[in-house]
Amino acid sequence: MLDPVMFTGGVYKHDLVTELIEDLGGYLLQKNVTQSEVILLMLVPHEDMPALEAMTKELKGKLERAPLAGTEIAVVTPTLAIHHLPHPACDVAEYIRRHGAKSNMIGMGRGVAREISQMDEFESALINEHDAVVFTFGNFADCILKKEHLYRTLTVPVIVTGGPEMKKEDLPYAFEYVPNVGRIAHRSRKATEIGSLDNIIAAVGRALDSVRASISKDPLTTTPPRAMEVVREQVPDVTQSLSPLPIALNLNGLRIKLPYDEYAEAVAGVEFDEGVTLGEIAKVMPSRMKNYILVRILPVSETGFVV
Amino acid sequence: MEMDPLEVFEVEMPGEGYGADKYREIIMDILQDLGLIRSIGRLYVYVNIERPYFAVFGMIRGKLPPLKVEEVGDLVAAEGGYQITVEDEEHMAGLIRALWGAYGREKVEQPDRNVLVVLSEESPGGLVVADLETEFRRDLLDALVRIAPEGFRNRRNEMAKDNFFFLAAEETITPEIIAEAKERLGGMRDA
Repeated sequence: MLDPVMFTGGVYKHDLVTELIEDLGGYLLQKNVTQSEVILLMLVPHEDMPALEAMTKELKGKLERAPLAGTEIAVVTPTLAIHHLPHPACDVAEYIRRHGAKSNMIGMGRGVAREISQMDEFESALINEHDAVVFTFGNFADCILKKEHLYRTLTVPVIVTGGPEMKKEDLPYAFEYVPNVGRIAHRSRKATEIGSLDNIIAAVGRALDSVRASISKDPLTTTPPRAMEVVREQVPDVTQSLSPLPIALNLNGLRIKLPYDEYAEAVAGVEFDEGVTLGEIAKVMPSRMKNYILVRILPVSETGFVV
Repeated sequence: MEMDPLEVFEVEMPGEGYGADKYREIIMDILQDLGLIRSIGRLYVYVNIERPYFAVFGMIRGKLPPLKVEEVGDLVAAEGGYQITVEDEEHMAGLIRALWGAYGREKVEQPDRNVLVVLSEESPGGLVVADLETEFRRDLLDALVRIAPEGFRNRRNEMAKDNFFFLAAEETITPEIIAEAKERLGGMRDA
């Protein structure tokens, strides 16, 4: 059992933390250096948490649980115009990021209005590459009801946010509805607004738990963090990628930020200690996001073994 | 007509109580961001979410006179010309542009960050730096476009001397919609 945690502290001696994680058999998911501060997102074995806590205390850092670590969440706005951005979509995305998830903002090409809004195949495929999605809608109950067709075909859990209170049964295709967000023209800073953001995090957490529960019925052949570690070792070019998170973790695979045409073979060919290659236990395909590589790990029922 | 800034501000959205409250906040935020509140006296907003359309009627508080050089900075006669000392730098760019236009670049000097010297016999005091009225109308229209829900892309705008009417709808705007919106807004004003 791995615990997702976030370490915040000084750059000085932070490599002691990364070394400790390596020694404990945990995984470093992301490292962000901002001037003199560093933020590390990690998965740590539950029983070894005291060791990391002691180290954090010694370095005078801060250790927090990051319940959404190792997941990718899409935050979808009807468009990228001033009406929807930066508030509140950026607040939602930033808040999700602070809880450890990788959040991607997606503005739909034709998501606006009640009668004419639509989503195309590319957009829904792109959203389906994530682990969960948060739709930010506006203040009119009528519009929220009529925009259901935008997310009806999605296969990932959908959290709908909007202004008014709505009944759960009115939105049968949404995993959950979070009220009191809606359209605002200022930054979320009041206690009630921050409380609504907390509600979104809780809803996303429940959505991810439901995905985890369905995966556990037919477990994956290997865990995404382990696959990430192997790719990082055997395809060293990935460390040269300029993306802040060169390998993004999903609950059922990875997104590797290298060009598909050049690196797909190398990624499929990486070998685990047990002798199998990633290509044998996972689908390696082009991602809809730029020309990245998407890896989807196959379940045990398809491969017949666990590595 | 004498009016206080935003002395009347009404939002009506039948069937969407929450939306009405929130749009009040949004409109205040946007008008504040663009510094327009002081220039608007009364504001009526009516939204019919069934049709749907978004209509605004507003009354403007008096006309803003054009901003002249003597109002932007301290104007004193100096050797061979006039010296202008500017305290508030907001209109500095407009001021330099106006002076360049009137006297030519070689006649305007800037010995210090907030000091301009114009080599001229006559005083530049009456020169217009900025047409505040035009700027206000432009900002007002920008604010209305920002305020209206984004899906409402068909827009109609009627600017008069002391009031404005703005209508945004999802479908084509017909004379019936305009008439209905005006009637509703008229009802709100009379109420």
